[in-house]
Amino acid sequence: MARADLITGIVLILLNLYVIIESWRMPRLEHLKVHPLSVPGIVPAFIGTVLILFGIALVSRSIKRGGYRLGFTGEQFLQVLKNPGNQRLMLTAFLTIGYAGLLIGTLPYWLATGLFIFVFILLFEWKRGISLSQHKRGIITAAVIATLSSAAITFVFERLFLVSLP
Amino acid sequence: MAILDNLASFLKAISGFVTPLALLHIAWSTLLGIVIGALPGLTATMGIALITTLTYKLPADLAILVLICVYVGAIYGGSRTAILINIPGTPANAATTLDGFPLSMQGLAGRAMGVATTGSVFGSFIGMFFLATIAPVLGNYALKFQSFEFFWLAIFGIIISGHLTALEDPIKGWIAGFLGLLVAMVGQEGIHAYERFTYGTTELLGGFALIPAMVGAFGFAEVLTVMKNPPAKLADAPKDSVFPKILDVLQYWRTIIRSGLIGTLIGIIPGVGEDIGAWVSYAAARRKSKEREKFGKGSVEGLMAAETGNNAVVPGAIIPALTLAIPGSAPAAVLLAAMFIHGLRPGPLIMVETPQFVYQVVAMVFFATLAIFMYGVGFSKLLLKVLAIPRSRLMPVVFVLCVIGSYAITNRTFDIWVMIGFGIIGFILRQMRYPMAPLVLGIILGDLMDKNLRRGLVLTDGDLAPFFTRPICLVLWLITLSSIVLSIHPLRHALKEALNILWSKIRRLMIQPVR
Repeated sequence: MARADLITGIVLILLNLYVIIESWRMPRLEHLKVHPLSVPGIVPAFIGTVLILFGIALVSRSIKRGGYRLGFTGEQFLQVLKNPGNQRLMLTAFLTIGYAGLLIGTLPYWLATGLFIFVFILLFEWKRGISLSQHKRGIITAAVIATLSSAAITFVFERLFLVSLP
Repeated sequence: MAILDNLASFLKAISGFVTPLALLHIAWSTLLGIVIGALPGLTATMGIALITTLTYKLPADLAILVLICVYVGAIYGGSRTAILINIPGTPANAATTLDGFPLSMQGLAGRAMGVATTGSVFGSFIGMFFLATIAPVLGNYALKFQSFEFFWLAIFGIIISGHLTALEDPIKGWIAGFLGLLVAMVGQEGIHAYERFTYGTTELLGGFALIPAMVGAFGFAEVLTVMKNPPAKLADAPKDSVFPKILDVLQYWRTIIRSGLIGTLIGIIPGVGEDIGAWVSYAAARRKSKEREKFGKGSVEGLMAAETGNNAVVPGAIIPALTLAIPGSAPAAVLLAAMFIHGLRPGPLIMVETPQFVYQVVAMVFFATLAIFMYGVGFSKLLLKVLAIPRSRLMPVVFVLCVIGSYAITNRTFDIWVMIGFGIIGFILRQMRYPMAPLVLGIILGDLMDKNLRRGLVLTDGDLAPFFTRPICLVLWLITLSSIVLSIHPLRHALKEALNILWSKIRRLMIQPVR
């Protein structure tokens, strides 16, 4: 956590330096005879300053706890990638972002949704070392759930609650 | 007379919901709320944010009724998972696991569920009583608030919420809160209509929409978290009766009242929420208990305190949301956003413009509470079947709902990306133990703080004195400052030393004349 705090602290400081610079560059609206203390940049600059102080506190606390010493080797990186939890996380991120960013808008909504649910269930319930024929039941289950879910969601939102779908 | 007027308004509101359509909405939405709460990974905030999509086309009163039923149902539903599999269904039920699960291990899962039902029902009713009595008073009092008070209310909310939701490391809570305020700075500002941090994008003119941001931070982030964690165990059906026992109420009435009061009070404090309500009630019950040694090993009193405390927060959190437009918890923040979407105007003018709406909300809590009691007694087996759904089948459907929930409000694909962005940031922040409630509160309070600080400075021509000397401001900034000082170890230590020195000097002065 000490290293994460160090990185977060540095990111906070850099981000909020940018916020303060941007706030400074915002117009003062003198031609409108606007009061100098009601200019648009004053509150973002205040928030940016507070966050820089918090960033400095995080960095200094992390340095005291040895956050700067914790190196990160290639082997550790490989271990992170091999961790089953992280693998599940990456697969979830890939599938969800792929569905929302690629499938939606390209395919009809019901088809994109059905396809996403089918692939998601299939990949997460797939067992290694088992032949394709033994997966038949799993494939059929995934297809049935995907079809029913997609049809039900489309019907309930579009027809019952009159919500427009992407 | 005022009490009779309140009662008459409440009864009128109750009668307004005794229609087949309203009762149908109460029935399905409370059940859905209980299921959402019971499923690990689906929280009350996420549930309300997703169901808000379903209510777009409903009349305002029915829409808010549905959302309140989901809210009350979810906080109650989470107790089932906490008791049966030792995993809190929502963060609000974390304290429930301490005694609920040990009771379940002793073969008393049914009794534990009955206690949770009793606690939740009484907690909701106590909170509801204060919602009905405090909200009108606070609403009228809030009419006296000016820019100076609203500025401090925003800062007070962020600091206290940040402190209480990250007790071990308050700085993370404060960072989350101020990041929320920063997010709220994006878009056209409310005084001179200048576009801040929009970079010429028309989609950002109105700032980040709250619902997609919340669906991301609480929905998508939760999907990622659930899929990363190892799968949860399956629950066994309880062997004893789940029917609440009157004896528990008679034996622990003091704990019920105390926890109800604590829960309501925690609910009123901006952005703190149900989990803290449960923990504080549990700690207070343990301190006062005659059977302290049973706590953590299956204490009925401990379970009662946790479940009364968290459900009392629900009406408590609605009090500031209705009267000040400042939510008392993260789910109340979505509820507040939904109220604005439906054209309602919560805030100091509510008792002037739509006083009847306050009593309608009280009636909504009343019906939701009755519904959780009925489901608590009768639908245990159905809930167990829902709990058996594997996450690999549930989470893709939840994500599909996250996409619809973000898109449907303005029909913009941009909002789907906002949801994904907030989901990823929310996931990373949660992994690093940053609480989400202050972040949400910051997004909501950003505009309020911005307008009122600048307005206040213009009114006083740059004089800061009224910000510190007006009576309510004085109280708010003193509490805010104390919260900060007491959380910083060297400052706390120095303060303690200074107080010790002062105390010894006073004692010496008092003793000397006697000599």
